[in-house]
Amino acid sequence: MVRFHEKILEIAEGIRTMRIRGAGKIARSAAEALKIAAETYSGEPDPELFRKYMNEAAKLILATRPTAVSLPNAVYYVMYALESNLGFKELREAVIARAEEFIRNSLEAVRKIGEIGARRIKQDSVVLTHCHSTAAATVIITAYKMGKIRKVYSTETRPFYQGRITARHLIEAGVPVVQVPDSSVRYIMHEVDQVVVGADTIASNGALVNKVGTSQVTLAAHEARVRVFVAAETYKFSPMTVIGELVPIEYRDPTEIVPKEWIDKHPNVTVLNPAFDVTPPEYIDAIITEEGVIPPQAAILILMEKFGWALEKIKQGVKQSVSFEDSIEG
Amino acid sequence: MYEELFKHGYAKRDTGTSLVFTLIDELRDSASTGDLGRVVEKYKQLVEKIMRDRPASYGAINALRLIGEYLLSKGLEGFMEYLDSLRRKYDRDCWEAARVAANRIVDGDVLITISNSLCVRRVFKLLVDQGRKFEVYVMESRPGMEGLDTASYLNDLGVKSYLIVDSAARFFMKNVKKAVIGAEAIAVNGAIVGKVGTSLLSLIANEARVRVFVVAPLYKFSLETIHGELVKLPEGDWRLLMSPDVRKSLPNEYRARAPLYDVAPANYIDGIATEYGLFAPQAIPVIIKQVYGSFPPRIRSLDEIGKLLEEKIGGGA
Repeated sequence: MVRFHEKILEIAEGIRTMRIRGAGKIARSAAEALKIAAETYSGEPDPELFRKYMNEAAKLILATRPTAVSLPNAVYYVMYALESNLGFKELREAVIARAEEFIRNSLEAVRKIGEIGARRIKQDSVVLTHCHSTAAATVIITAYKMGKIRKVYSTETRPFYQGRITARHLIEAGVPVVQVPDSSVRYIMHEVDQVVVGADTIASNGALVNKVGTSQVTLAAHEARVRVFVAAETYKFSPMTVIGELVPIEYRDPTEIVPKEWIDKHPNVTVLNPAFDVTPPEYIDAIITEEGVIPPQAAILILMEKFGWALEKIKQGVKQSVSFEDSIEG
Repeated sequence: MYEELFKHGYAKRDTGTSLVFTLIDELRDSASTGDLGRVVEKYKQLVEKIMRDRPASYGAINALRLIGEYLLSKGLEGFMEYLDSLRRKYDRDCWEAARVAANRIVDGDVLITISNSLCVRRVFKLLVDQGRKFEVYVMESRPGMEGLDTASYLNDLGVKSYLIVDSAARFFMKNVKKAVIGAEAIAVNGAIVGKVGTSLLSLIANEARVRVFVVAPLYKFSLETIHGELVKLPEGDWRLLMSPDVRKSLPNEYRARAPLYDVAPANYIDGIATEYGLFAPQAIPVIIKQVYGSFPPRIRSLDEIGKLLEEKIGGGA
């Protein structure tokens, strides 16, 4: 068993317990953990041993959240550095550089998405958002600074109340925000001009996997002919879905919904707590990435452009030093 | 009991029908004094309270109308017996509507429901008594989370149920055969006023081609909507969503709206189960005509009745 620096274990634990949450933050934390792993490697200066050690670190990180595609994409991006035929010192530097590059690009992506997305917001808009997404919040805040937003409705987002994080985030930026319960999205939709949500994962057909409730928010928007925009960095697109893999939906602990004593007193009640749901592409008007606006059905374009190198390997079934399969099991 | 639940704004509240029973009990108490003035005073208080707290609750509004009319025409003569017969009628109608709805459920059905409705509970009870096998998805139904009370009821009946957050309704709809819901009021065009989320649930059910049945005895019908009145939909604020302690942890500028009811359009409803049978929501004027003898029925508003009662007391004293 390899022993890792405690900071790495802390990040892994943080992702598992949702102290670190949101696909973007998870991805950046994963890259950060791999960077720390490379920096704190204390074994023999041998490229093969270093590769093995990094592999173990990658596995540890990948096992934390089975569904966040940003996690394997970030890990895969960083681990790609190990493919090059270099000596130990250069290899280690390459890993660190790639991790830093990922973090930098990711933060830059949010800023770009904010700019591009804000252009799509109409003057004097009332915007509704679900859950908490840094990318979606950045679109809203950027549009607000351009004087385009009158009001934001933010859903509470049970069971974890990520909507309260959104409310805090927007309040800090001075945006007028009103929280509403998830059950009231159809009631409130007639006041809404546009919906902006983030993404956990985007499948190759343009379907969006995001916080549970997203699909019914978009259904209610669709019914009311309210436009729906998804703010998503390109590393949220899932290469594995190209070969038909399903995106597994994680079920979380029922005590997030009701306390354990309630569950114990109700043996005939099963409390089900799926973390995500799937929004079909027809309910999405556009996906806003740092590369530009695309219709959801063109998701495959992003996958080919951004993950072409990975796609080839996935299709060939070549067992990678870190395989995607490790990450989607369970 | 469940301290932690209060952090989420869990609160016990009367269902539309049990609210009527409470009303009748309170009037019974004041009528036992034999003083018409006091009964009218109590009556006016109750009208005020309902219009403030539950203005969409037509079970209560219609009961108050009937009681007011009785007081106008007969005063306290036979009043106790009248209250008892009214209570029995409401109780019977609720059971009958439940029986009609239960007939639509077949062995092996998987149902979904929202909130906590007495007449929907009775559907479940009848099905269990008839030995029919079924399972129920129960939405927690924020604000208030009275879905938990429905789940508790099903637990005690020995029925397998699944408690889910309101956001997960569409996720699980693919497993569901029928939606069975209660109503706070039914408008003349067949629109259903229900606990907030009802319209979202019926939209989601429709998208998945899941049938939606509303269990609503005729006392839930809003006769006022015939004359173009809108059913008033009350809203609360953060107090319905969290405890004061939780509120303290949020920024001062934090604002919340907590709507209590919403309106599901008639075209998302497959049938309304009443004590007269199962009807298409658009057929409501037909039953109203059948029951009241004319359409529109001749009714007085609670305001009018209140004023007349005052004159009656004033004149009598």
